[in-house]
Amino acid sequence: MENTLLFVLIFLPFAAAGLCWLVPSGAVRRGVVLVTAALLAAASLGLFGRGAFAATPESLLGLPLNGLITLADFALLLVILGIGLKRKNRWITILTLLQLVPLAIFELTLPEHGPIAPALVIDGLSLIMILVISIVGSLICVFALPYMEAHEQHLHLRSSRQGRFFFFLVLFLGAMNGLVAANNILWAYFFWELTTLCSFALIGHDGGEEATANAVRALVMNLFGGVALVCGIIFLYGAAKTLSIQDVVQAGSLGTMAFVAFALIALAGFTKAAQLPFQSWLLGAMVAPTPVSALLHSSTMVKAGVYIVLRFAPAFAGSAFADCLAVAGGFTFCVATGLALGQSNGKRILAYSTIGNLGLIMACAGIGTPAALAAGMLFIVFHAVSKGLLFLCVGAIEQTIGSRDIEDMRGLYDRMPRTAVITVIGIVTMLLPPFGVLMAKWMAIEAAADNLPVVVLIAMGSALGVVVWGRWAGILMSSSRTKKAWPEAQPALLRWPLAVLAGGAVVLSFLLPAVYASLVAPMLKGPIAGSAGSLASGLAAYLIYPLFLVLAAGFLYAVIAARQARAAVDTVYLAGAQAGPPESPAFTGPMDQPVVVSAGNYYLPSIFGEERLTFPLNVIAVALIIIMAGGALI
Amino acid sequence: MLKDFIRSSRAKSPWIIHFDCGSCNGCDIETLACLTPLYDVERFGIVNVGNPKHADVLLVTGTVNHRNKHVLKNLYDQMPSPKAVVAIGACGLTGGVFREAYNVLGGVDKVLPVDVYVPGCPPKPEAIIDGVVLALKKFAEKQQAAG
Amino acid sequence: MTSILLGILALILAPLAGGLIAGLDRRVTARVQSRFGPPILQPFYDVAKLFGKEPRMGNVWQIFCAYIYLLGAAVSVFLFFAGADLLLLFFVQAIGAVFLVFGALARPSPYSQIGAQRELMQILTYEPLLILVFVGLAKATGSFKVAAIWSHPEPLLLQLPLLYLVLTTALTIKLRKSPFDFSTSHHGHQEIVKGVLTEYSGPYLGLIELAHWYEVVLVLGICALFWSTSLVGLLVLLAVTYAAEIFVDNTMARLTWRWMLGSALLAGLALSFLNLVWLYLA
Repeated sequence: MENTLLFVLIFLPFAAAGLCWLVPSGAVRRGVVLVTAALLAAASLGLFGRGAFAATPESLLGLPLNGLITLADFALLLVILGIGLKRKNRWITILTLLQLVPLAIFELTLPEHGPIAPALVIDGLSLIMILVISIVGSLICVFALPYMEAHEQHLHLRSSRQGRFFFFLVLFLGAMNGLVAANNILWAYFFWELTTLCSFALIGHDGGEEATANAVRALVMNLFGGVALVCGIIFLYGAAKTLSIQDVVQAGSLGTMAFVAFALIALAGFTKAAQLPFQSWLLGAMVAPTPVSALLHSSTMVKAGVYIVLRFAPAFAGSAFADCLAVAGGFTFCVATGLALGQSNGKRILAYSTIGNLGLIMACAGIGTPAALAAGMLFIVFHAVSKGLLFLCVGAIEQTIGSRDIEDMRGLYDRMPRTAVITVIGIVTMLLPPFGVLMAKWMAIEAAADNLPVVVLIAMGSALGVVVWGRWAGILMSSSRTKKAWPEAQPALLRWPLAVLAGGAVVLSFLLPAVYASLVAPMLKGPIAGSAGSLASGLAAYLIYPLFLVLAAGFLYAVIAARQARAAVDTVYLAGAQAGPPESPAFTGPMDQPVVVSAGNYYLPSIFGEERLTFPLNVIAVALIIIMAGGALI
Repeated sequence: MLKDFIRSSRAKSPWIIHFDCGSCNGCDIETLACLTPLYDVERFGIVNVGNPKHADVLLVTGTVNHRNKHVLKNLYDQMPSPKAVVAIGACGLTGGVFREAYNVLGGVDKVLPVDVYVPGCPPKPEAIIDGVVLALKKFAEKQQAAG
Repeated sequence: MTSILLGILALILAPLAGGLIAGLDRRVTARVQSRFGPPILQPFYDVAKLFGKEPRMGNVWQIFCAYIYLLGAAVSVFLFFAGADLLLLFFVQAIGAVFLVFGALARPSPYSQIGAQRELMQILTYEPLLILVFVGLAKATGSFKVAAIWSHPEPLLLQLPLLYLVLTTALTIKLRKSPFDFSTSHHGHQEIVKGVLTEYSGPYLGLIELAHWYEVVLVLGICALFWSTSLVGLLVLLAVTYAAEIFVDNTMARLTWRWMLGSALLAGLALSFLNLVWLYLA
C-alpha cells in the first residue's frame, strides 16, 4: 500500500508528464492533468493517513531502482551539459562539469555500492512537503489549464506549445515529491537537479530574449547550488560514512568536516531558495506564465531549498554555524521585505516577499530550537497555500486588466469583486492573526528571542511586511461604486482553484493545532525533543480555537452590521469643491474644469529603491555567507 | 436612557466647522477668537473641526457669491444630520455692503436654511458663542418635533 | 477562569477608563494653555452625540473596517487583562490597526489615502520597537505572558530603562500624539481634515473613537508592566508617563514622517538594542 502511494506520488507525474508531451490533443492533456492532480491529492492524503514510515523500493518495472537513478542522474547532467554546449554558455558547461566529474569519481570510489536502507523515509517534514506539493501544486496545474489557453491566445501562437509546458509542470511535482521522500542523499540530489532543469525549461517557456536570458540565469545559479550540493554530499560522506540523511541527522556530533558539508548544503539551499545574493533568478523567473511563478514560489523549487536546510537543521542545531545561518536568514527576511516595499509590480512584491519568508524559514532552521523548527515547518505549509493563492490571483487579475502593477489594481473591487475579495483574503492570511503564517511568525519571534540580532531583523522585517501587504489589500477595495458589484465571469477551472485555496488558507489556519499535533510534533522527537514554545504547551487548542471563534464571530457581526447599515451614501470630502458623479470623484479645478482625483502609495524609492540597495545588500549577503562558512569551520 | 443621554449630549458637544464664504476676515478673526483662552469655547464642548463630515454646526461668514455657493452647498450636504447653520456678520446675513455687487447672491439663507443669524460687523465673540448655543437649542427642538 | 473574568471586566471597564483619560487629557491640556477646558466627561458626550448622528457611508467595506478596528482593539485588551501572550495580543491589535488603514484606503479621497499611507509609516515605526520591548520584557522575566510578567518580583523599569523610553516613544506614535500625529490627530492638533478618519462620520466615527479608548487602555497597561510590584509605584509611573505625553503633545510641533522613519526609528532601535545587549550580558 505504502509503495503504491509512493509510486503514485513520485512516478505517476513522470508518466503523466510523458503523456502530455507525446499526445498533442488538448482534450487528452486536460484529462491527464485533471486525473493526475486528483490522484496526487488523494495519494498525499492517503499517505497522511498512514503517517510516518520508511520504505525501500528495490525496483521499478523490473529494473533495479538504485542503478536506474544513478543512470538517470548522469543522463540528466549530460542533458544540462548539452544545453550548455548548445547555447555556448561557458558557465553552464563549467558548472555542470564541476558536478559531473566529482560525482563520477565519487560514484566510482564509493566503497559500499549497495542500496541505502531505507531509501525513502516519510516523516512529518516529508509529509508536510508532499501534502503541499501534491495539493497546492496540483491546484496550480489545474489553474494552468484555462490560463494557458488564454495565454496562448494572447500570444497568437501558431502551434500550441502546451504539451511541453505541462510536461515540465507535472514532472516538477514528481521531482519534488521524490526529493522530499528521498533518504538516500544521492537520490535527493537527482531530484534536486531535476527541479533545476524543470525550472529552466518553464522559465524560458515563452521564448524571447528576456525569458531565455532569465532562464539561463536561473539555470546557472541553481547549477552553482548543485555544485555546492555535490561537494556537500562528498564531504558529508567523508564525515559520516553514510548516504542516509536520517543517519546523519541522528548521528549527533560529527566534527568539522560534517559542518563544512552542512555549510555547502546550506549554500545549495540558499541558491534554490533564492536567498540574497541569489535572488535575481527568482525575480527573473516572473517572465514565465503565472502558473509557473505560482508553482516556483509556493509549493516547489524554492521550498526545496528550505526543505534541505530544515532537514539537516537538527544535526547542526546550537553550533556557531547555525547562529550564522539564523542571522543570514533573518537578514534576508528583513531586507527582502524592505525591497518589496519599494515595488509596485505585484509579481515582484510577491517574489520579494517569498524570498523574505524563506529567509525567515532559514532563520528558524538556524535557531534550531524545537519551537523554531516547528515554526519553520508550519511556515512552509501556510506560506505555500497563501502565496500560491496570491500568485494565481495576480495571474487572474493580469489577464483581465492587462497589468500587474498594484497601482492599476486600485478599486479592483468595482471590476472583479470576487477576485478582489479572494486576493484580500490571501493577503490577510499572509499578514494577520489568527491565520497560520502569522502564528508561525509568532512562534519564530518567540524562538528567536534568545538571539538578539535575529530578533531585531525579524521584528523589522515583520513591520515592513505590514506596509507591503496592508496598502495592497487596502487599495484593492478602494471603491467608489455606490451600487452592489456583480461577480465577474470567469472560467470554472480558474475560479475553483482560487476558491479552494482561499478556503483552504482559512480552514487550514483554523486547524493549526491539529496540523501541529499530527505533522510537526512527531518531528520534534529524538535529538531535538523539548519544549516547543507557546503553541505546543497545550496552549494551542485552548487559545487558537477560541481566538479564532471570537474573531470569526466579530467578523461575521461586522459583515452583517455593515451590510444592514441603513446609511445614506456619502461623497468624498474634497474641500467642498467636488464635481461629477460619486463614481468618479473629481474636484472643480482651474477654468471650471473637473480634475479627477488620483492617489498613489508611498514606495519610498530613496530608501527602499531596488537600484540603490541591491548591490550593497548583495555584498553584505555574500559577507554573511562567508561568515557562515567560517562558522562551520569553528 | 441611552437615547436621552445621546439627546442631551448633542447640546453638549457641538463640533463646528467654519466656512469663510467671502468675508473681509473681520468675522473670521472674531470667530477664531472664541477658541482662544480668553473665551475658551471648549468649555461648552465646542470644537473647531476641519471636516464637514465631523461637524454639527456650520458657521458661515461673508457674502455668498456665484462662485462659492456650490462649495457652501457641498459642505452643508456632507454634514450628517442633525445639523445647524449659523450665519455670522452683516455680510453673512444679507450680503452686507456687497449685496448689490453683480457677483453676489446675498446672505447665506439664499443657499442654505439658516437657523441663527448673528448680526454685527463684525459680531463680538460672545455673540457668536450665543449664536452657536442658540443653534443647538434649535436643533434639539427640531429633533423633538421630528420625534 | 479568573483570568477570563478579568478580561471580560476589562472589556467593559476599558472604554470608561479610556474616555475618562481622554477627558482628563483635554482638561489638563486646557489648563496648560491657561484655559478652563471641557468637563471631564466631555469625550462621552462627544461619542454619544456621534452615535446619535445620521449614519453615512461610502461603501460597505469601509463600515466593515470600522467594526474590525474596534474588534481588534477590544480583543487585544481582553487578551491583555486575561494575561495572554504579549506578542499574540499585539498581533491581534495589529488586525485593528491594519483594518483602519484598509478603511481609509477604501475611499478614493486624497485626504484619507494620504492618511492611510502615513498610518502605515507609523505602524512601520512602532511595530519593531514594540516587538523589541516585548522581547526585552520576556528576556527579563523569562516569559512572554502578561500574567508571568505581571508577577515578576522586581520593578522592570530598573532593568529596562532604555526600553521604557523606547516604549513611550512608540506609544506616542501608536496613539498619534504630537509630534507624531501624521495620519490623523486629536482636536486642536495639526491634521486639520483628519487623515485616516476623513471619510468616517457619525456612528462609525464613534466606533473608531471607542476603539481608540481601548487602545489607550492597552497602551497604559503595557506601561504598567514596568512597575507591577506596587500599586503606588504603578500609578506614579502611569501618571508621570501620561503627564509627559501631554506635555510633549502640547509643546511639540509636528515633525515629518520622514524624520520619524529616519531618526525616531533608528534611535529607538539603537536604544532597544543597547538595553537588550545589557540584558543578554547580565
